[in-house]
Amino acid sequence: MAVQLFFNGLVTGLLIALPALALTLIFGVLKFANFAVGSMVTLGAYAAWVANVRLGLPLSASAAIAAVTVAAAGVASDQLVFERLRERGSISLLVASMGVSLIIENVCRFAFGNASRGFDVAPSRPIRWQGIRINQEQITTAAVVLVCLVLVDALLRFSPLGRAMRAVADNASLAAVRGVERRTVARLTWALVGALLGVAGVLSGLDRAIDPLIGWNYQIPIFAAAILGGLGSPLGAIAGALVIGVAEEMSALVIPTNYRQVVSFAVILALLLFRANGLFGAKAARR
Amino acid sequence: MIAYLITITILVCVAALVGLALNLQWGLAGLVNFGVVGFVAIGAYAAALLAPEIGWLPAMAVSAALSAAFSAGLALLAIRLEENYLAIVTIGFGEVVRLVILNEPWLTNGALGIADIPRPFAALGDAVGGDAVFLVFAVALVALAFVTLEGMARSPFGRALRAIRDDATVTSALGKNVFALRVRAFAVGGAVMGIAGALHAYYLTYIDPGQFTPIVTAYAFMAVIAGGRGSNVGLLVGAGSIMALLEGTRFLKDFITVIDGVQLSALRLGLIGVGIVLLLILRPQGLAPEPRRRTSDVLPDRTTRS
Repeated sequence: MAVQLFFNGLVTGLLIALPALALTLIFGVLKFANFAVGSMVTLGAYAAWVANVRLGLPLSASAAIAAVTVAAAGVASDQLVFERLRERGSISLLVASMGVSLIIENVCRFAFGNASRGFDVAPSRPIRWQGIRINQEQITTAAVVLVCLVLVDALLRFSPLGRAMRAVADNASLAAVRGVERRTVARLTWALVGALLGVAGVLSGLDRAIDPLIGWNYQIPIFAAAILGGLGSPLGAIAGALVIGVAEEMSALVIPTNYRQVVSFAVILALLLFRANGLFGAKAARR
Repeated sequence: MIAYLITITILVCVAALVGLALNLQWGLAGLVNFGVVGFVAIGAYAAALLAPEIGWLPAMAVSAALSAAFSAGLALLAIRLEENYLAIVTIGFGEVVRLVILNEPWLTNGALGIADIPRPFAALGDAVGGDAVFLVFAVALVALAFVTLEGMARSPFGRALRAIRDDATVTSALGKNVFALRVRAFAVGGAVMGIAGALHAYYLTYIDPGQFTPIVTAYAFMAVIAGGRGSNVGLLVGAGSIMALLEGTRFLKDFITVIDGVQLSALRLGLIGVGIVLLLILRPQGLAPEPRRRTSDVLPDRTTRS
């Protein structure tokens, strides 16, 4: 039982890792906590649903469409909203992201209603291995996330874009002096982040029913993971996501499953109280 | 039609109370509270559960006290956090309150909610007819809250809060206890949110967890941004009119049949998001900006440069 929960927790953690990574990248480059991550996951799930169920495309193609859709939404939100507020400080950006979140969520609600939807995938038998039940969806999720993480890591490490992103995250003005344009980097970061969130939306749609609040349900675990990793640290976000996933699933051993979300909240609170820098740095307390 | 107007006005009163409370916490003291709905829900449930036992006025007092206690508790734990982190802690608090309400049916009756909440002045209201008596009560509450909070904003306490908002380091160097002032601001705001929750419960006489979604929080933020952060007058005038318009769309469904109820509510909630974003971009100082004192007000014979 405990081993099974641990395994489920790792997969849940991987699922949270993509949005947590997205959150942390935006925070690193643009210096604000983007509360629209949850709604962008929702948008990704619906985009893939339309492609998969309405247009009859296979799930992989649907995932690509979802990634492109959410990337476009991310770039558009930067162009229309966040860029105009960039000099206004992080509180304005934070509150604006709440507004963007409301807009995206309700565009989805307007178009698709409150009903629960699911992808058109053939149900498959779970595999048994060493006494653990492993679903087909869990294998898909783990594989897709791992591939995404390797790709993002390579991008950040070796590509010019990755170098530019790290430079802006480190010191935006110095990067500007060296000819790295913040605006372009911001746009490209949004595109990358949107693609990650779109893929995360597809995976969460495999995990549970798609409704307008699907992304919102992940919001607190996502933030918990990113904060645990120290906001702004990509590697930390992934580690944090795994810890949160395992903690949430394993909590079923001690508290009612209805209260799973409280675990994330408790982790955030405890962490901020006792180790305000997260596990990997970043400063949370002011003055 | 009159009944519509009365209903809208009472709902605006509830929202205005929440807005006034957030205006103290965020507008005046600069503390982001994304968990507004949690404090409103605590107030509403306290009032709903206690009013039949101890009467509506003591129940409302308990609502305010309980909500203030939770605010103070959360503030003691989290108020020193930088705004991005404070935002997520408060949003988490709001979610926890919702989960507890949903999952502790022995106390809150779970998803079914609580019905038959007694309404203040019910006998008088029946005699006059309609909700007019309750409307007067609601408006009086808003007026009371406004006078109290405006008084606070003009008091040394309010000045210290504005100073902290603008530069906490300097304020602290001037000998103000930044931490204690922030906790107090959060607690007072929480009390007003509790009262707003009680008013909500008394008016609807039925509450369930579905009424306390993060939309309540978004609404309050829009109200504060619209009015101008830190300006109570702006909150009532500017936000009041915008909220009245938005509340008015609730009744559009009786006239428009092309889109269904879910779509209409999605439209309204989406408009709140659009409102927040547009106001932040186009008019960040709000419709009635916070009055700023210039050097010339204090030293009239000096140059007029502030």
